[in-house]
Amino acid sequence: MARIVAAMALTHSPGLTGWFDRAPEEQQKTALRALAEMRQRLEAARPDVVIAFSNDHLLNWPINNTPEFTVGIGEEHVGPADWYDEWLALGKYRIPGHAALARYLVNEGARRRIAFAHLRQMQFDDGISVPMHYLNPEGRLPLVPVTMNCTVPPIPTPERAYQVGTVVRDMLHAYPGPERIAVIGTGGLSHEPGGPRYFWVDEEFDRWFLDMLKKGDHRALLRECTLERMEDAGSGGTAELNAWIVAMAFTQGPADVLAYMPAIAWRTGTGMVVWNDLA
Amino acid sequence: MGNVERCDKTLPVNEMIFYVRRDARLRERWTTDLEGLCREFGLSRPEYEALRDKDVRRLNEMGVHQYLIPQILRLFYGAALNANTHPALEAYQRAFPEETAKAFALAERLERRTRS
Repeated sequence: MARIVAAMALTHSPGLTGWFDRAPEEQQKTALRALAEMRQRLEAARPDVVIAFSNDHLLNWPINNTPEFTVGIGEEHVGPADWYDEWLALGKYRIPGHAALARYLVNEGARRRIAFAHLRQMQFDDGISVPMHYLNPEGRLPLVPVTMNCTVPPIPTPERAYQVGTVVRDMLHAYPGPERIAVIGTGGLSHEPGGPRYFWVDEEFDRWFLDMLKKGDHRALLRECTLERMEDAGSGGTAELNAWIVAMAFTQGPADVLAYMPAIAWRTGTGMVVWNDLA
Repeated sequence: MGNVERCDKTLPVNEMIFYVRRDARLRERWTTDLEGLCREFGLSRPEYEALRDKDVRRLNEMGVHQYLIPQILRLFYGAALNANTHPALEAYQRAFPEETAKAFALAERLERRTRS
């Protein structure tokens, strides 16, 4: 039976690779320290595969058809997509997939009434590329990417994200393989990419959200962290935290907050968390 | 809800950007024949003119998805080193001066707080 061995979440802002050195030095140091610790804790958990929940920024799907969830089922993943490599200042990378597990998610998800779209050749922007650059730079850990729609209305609610996370968790527990699985949520924190508040970071919201994770009361978080509240903190971007909430569904109790930076130079509230207690 | 709700999902320009970004030939035509490209994708005259003028505010108001507007600017100005001093970001600063001033004032306060 498969086992969940790690759950963590982090910001994936393009500035973390594309213009990293434009942030104040203190933020650069804090980010590098937290990312190194995350990588260390990920490797210490000895996962056979990483399932990364991110979001599709209108890269894989045009606006007339934006599935709620999409699974990358390829044998290998190649990124960043053309044109995004320059933006992210990253060379092409190759990471093995885990097609059997990915296809299981799609088919078993359908039986459990969750519509996962799938792509044999998924394209990658910052959502997967930035976390992989820091956590899986040699591409040694096989990857199953799952993207969510967090930016084209209607945006799924945090309750929905948690519910899907819970179903995926149950599905993985029932997966007939010995895999050790790490779950990573990527996105957030507060930001409004391309909106009037493009340069704004809502530090108050971010610290409140991280504090809720630190307290570890998932019910309270889902009650108080509404989609409206996320949208207030930065429209069309903050709701990427839905990917964190999916990851939270694999855990119980408090998270360790490794770092937080209100990084206006990267145009994103930037943070990293790791959960200890897995559900 | 927030700014993203302004989006008109059925606006032709919102579909066009999806295809232009991922196709080097279309990106080339973006710079050499924007008007013809817009005609092929069925954009209205006001959509084309807002693109041609790189008018961030007008694009946002007519319902272009907010995430696509910086990509439109990167198609014009290039994608590398997209920091807050990049021409695409300067266009945002001009379009939304009040919001920008508030954010940069916050950045300064944060910087002072770190130093003290």
